[in-house]
Amino acid sequence: MAASFAAAGFFPKTNSSIKPAKNSFLDKPDVISLNSVPKPNKSDTISSMKAQAQTLPKINGTNPGVKHPFENVLLEDPLKKSSSPLDPPIPSSSPFQMTPSKTFYNSLPDWSVLLAAMMSYIFLAAEKQFTLSDWKPKRPEMLADAFGFGRMIQDGSVFRQTFPIRSYEIGADRTASIETLMNHLQETALNHVKIAGLLGDGFGATPEMSKRNLIWVVSRIQLLVEKYPSWGDVVEVDTWVGASGKNGMRRDWHVRDYKSGQTILRATSVWVMMNKETRRLAKMPEEVRAEIGPYFIDRLAIRAEDAKKLPKAEKKDSSERFVREGLTPKWGDLDVNQHVNNVKYIGWILESAPISILEKHELASMTLEYRKECGRDSVLQSLTSVSSSADCTGEDGVRCEHLLQLESGAEIVKGYTEWRPKRTEEGNAGAISGQSA
Amino acid sequence: MFRSHVAAPSGAAASPQFRLPSNAWRGPTVVTCTARSGRASISSCSVTKEMEVAHVTDSEGARVEPTLGERLRLGSLLEDGLSYKESFVIRCYEVGVNKTATVETIANLLQEVGCNHAQSVGFSTDGFATTTTMRKLRLIWVTNRMHIEIYKYPAWGDVVEIETWCQSEGRIGTRRDWIIKDLSNGEVIGRATSKWVMMHQDTRKLQRVSDEVREEYLVFCPRTPRFSFPEEDNASLKKIPKLDEPSENSRLGLVPRRADLDMNQHVNNVTYIGWVLESMPQDIIDTHELETITLEYRRECQHDDSVDSLTSAEFEGASENGSSNGVALSMHNPQHQFLHLLRLSGTGLEINRGRTVWRKLKGKKEKL
Repeated sequence: MAASFAAAGFFPKTNSSIKPAKNSFLDKPDVISLNSVPKPNKSDTISSMKAQAQTLPKINGTNPGVKHPFENVLLEDPLKKSSSPLDPPIPSSSPFQMTPSKTFYNSLPDWSVLLAAMMSYIFLAAEKQFTLSDWKPKRPEMLADAFGFGRMIQDGSVFRQTFPIRSYEIGADRTASIETLMNHLQETALNHVKIAGLLGDGFGATPEMSKRNLIWVVSRIQLLVEKYPSWGDVVEVDTWVGASGKNGMRRDWHVRDYKSGQTILRATSVWVMMNKETRRLAKMPEEVRAEIGPYFIDRLAIRAEDAKKLPKAEKKDSSERFVREGLTPKWGDLDVNQHVNNVKYIGWILESAPISILEKHELASMTLEYRKECGRDSVLQSLTSVSSSADCTGEDGVRCEHLLQLESGAEIVKGYTEWRPKRTEEGNAGAISGQSA
Repeated sequence: MFRSHVAAPSGAAASPQFRLPSNAWRGPTVVTCTARSGRASISSCSVTKEMEVAHVTDSEGARVEPTLGERLRLGSLLEDGLSYKESFVIRCYEVGVNKTATVETIANLLQEVGCNHAQSVGFSTDGFATTTTMRKLRLIWVTNRMHIEIYKYPAWGDVVEIETWCQSEGRIGTRRDWIIKDLSNGEVIGRATSKWVMMHQDTRKLQRVSDEVREEYLVFCPRTPRFSFPEEDNASLKKIPKLDEPSENSRLGLVPRRADLDMNQHVNNVTYIGWVLESMPQDIIDTHELETITLEYRRECQHDDSVDSLTSAEFEGASENGSSNGVALSMHNPQHQFLHLLRLSGTGLEINRGRTVWRKLKGKKEKL
C-alpha cells in the first residue's frame, strides 16, 4: 500500500544526492508500505510541504502558488536513518522556514536527528488511526496529502500522483475520456513544479522566469494509449523532465493502473520558452537552467521502438474530410491567463471526427502540434481528414489528420491520430439490468 | 449475527458493495457480498455496523486491507449509514479565470458524491443509481430541480469534504442534499439541494414513487427530516418565473459537445449550468462570482439539439417587466440577480429555467 500522504517536513540533503539512481528506473517503483519504516537507500522521498498550504487562510481568488512559507523541499539525506513519508507538520514560525532563494540543499544535522525520532513516533501513531472514517481535521496536512497531492520518488527526479477516475470524467463509452487523461497529465506537471518549489507567479513559470516575463508554452505532445481506465479505477501518473535541445524542455509521463501496474498511457511533450509580452520565443537564461537543470533526466517514456507507432504527417492519396465550424470557447474553457486550456483543444479536434469512428474505435495514439494560442473571442473550425490508405495500424485501424484553425485561416493546432477498434470487456455487460440478491 | 449475501453489479470494478437489510439497526450485522468484476482480486467483503470501512477478505478468509485507491474512492458512509461523506482535492484544470473552482466543478463533485453514495449502498452502478425494483420496472431518476449556494470557492489544491444524504419528498419525489466543507478547517463553504422524480426509461414519462421503491431506499435515509437548508423561506424554495422576452442577453445555437454527454448519451446536468452562464452579461462575469444558482429542469436535451440561452436581470419587488424603476433599484443592490431560460432553438420548447445571484468579487470595481 502506498502511503502517499507526506506531510510537511524537511530532511537535510547534500547536493550530490540529487543525481538520480540510474539503475532504479526500470524497477517497479518503490511502494512504501505503512507497515514498515522504509530503508533510506531504497526509498528516498522528498516530503511534500504542500499540505502546509492548507492551514493558510484562503482568500477568494488567491493564487495558490504564491507565498507559501515552504516553497522548497529539503531532500532526504540517505545517510540519515529512517525516512518516513509522514513528517510532523511544522508551523510557519519554525526554524526550518526557508525562503525560495537560499539554502535549498543545506544540511542541518542537529535538527534532523530530532526530526527522525519525532517522525517515527508519529508514523506509528498515525498508522493506528488510519481509517478513512477516522480522519478528522486535526491533522489537515496529512489529510490533504492523502487525497493525492503526490510525492517525489527516486531521489526527487520523478513525481508520482494517483487519481481516482470520477464519474463525470467518463465518456459516453464508459471509459475515461482522453481529455480526462490529459487533464491528469497537466495536473501532475503543475504539482511536480509546485513540490519542487519552482512555481512562479502563475501556472507554468519558475520564479526566475517570472522575473523575466517568460512562460513555458507547449509545442508538441505525443501519446500512446494502451488501455483506457473506467469509473472507479485509480491511475498512477509518473512524470519527469529532461532537456530538449538547448532551450527547450521535455516532459514525459507514464500512467499506470494503480492496482495492476499495467500501463495505461505513455506521453512526451516539448516545451519552449516564450516572452509573455512580446509573444516571441526566447532562449533559456542561465538562471532558469540553474533552477530546473538539476531535475533533468534522460529517461524516455516513449522509447525508440515505440516511437514508430506515433502518427505523423503522411501523404494521402484519398481521404474524406469533415468540418465542424463555429466552435467558440466557453467561459469555463479559459485558464487563469484567459487562454484556452491546452486540453480543450482535444475536444474540439474530436468534434469533427466522424461519429462512426468514435463509436467503434478508441484513440490509440496521437501527436499534437501547437502552433498558435487562442483566447476568449476566437471562433474556430475543426477539420478532420480520414485516411483510407491500406497500411493503417492493424486491419481495422483508422488514421486521421486534424486541423484546428481560426476562421481567418491561422492554424491553432495540428493533430495526427490513430484509432483501433474498441475492445469489449468481459465483465461489462448487463450493467443496466444489474444483479441483485 | 445476521448474515446476508448480496451480489454486486458486475460493472462495479473493485469497490465492495453491500446492502444493509432494513432490520439492520438492531445489532451488529455482517453482510457478505461478492464482487464479480473480472478485475477484482477480492472474492468477498464484509461490513460490520461498527466499522465504516468495508473489510475485504480473499477466498481463504484472510482479511485483505482495502488499498489506498479503494479508500480514496469509497468515501465513507457515516456511522449510522444514513449519509455519506467524501473528500476531493481541487485540481488545476478545475479552476477558472478567478483561480478558484468553477461552479461546474462543484456541480460535478456533487454529482460524483451522489453517485458514490448510491453505489456504496448497493444501488446500481450504471449511472442511474436505481434500486432493484426500479430496474425491474425500467424506471430511472431524473433531476427536477437543483439549487446550489457557494459561500467561498475553493482554490487549486484545496480539499473539500462533501456530505450527502437523501430522503423522500412528498409523494412523487426524492431529494438529495449536500453540505460542502473545507476539510482543513471544517468551515461550510457551500450547500446544495436537489429534487428528483422517477421516469420510465423508454416512454420518458414521469411516474409516482411507488411504496415498493420507497421502502428500498428509505432505509438509507435519515429517519427525521434533515435539510441542508433548514431555514424557513430559504432561497431554494423560491419559485422561478419565466423571464419575459425579449431578454436582455442571449446566446443562441449552443450545441452539446461530445464531452457533454453522460454515460447514457444524454446531456449531462452540469452542462446546462455552463449554458445558462453563457448568456450572462460579461461585465457581471468579470466582476462578480456566482453565489447561488437554481435550476428547474423541464425537458431533456439530446446530443443533436441546438439550444438558446437567455438571461435577464431580475429585480426584487419591482414589476416583472423590469421597468425603469427597477434599474434604479439594482444600482443600489449589491447583489445581482438574474433569471435564465434555456430552450430548444427550433421549437422554442423550454428545457429549463433558472435564477442566479451574484456577489461582487473582492477588489474589483463594478463597471456601470
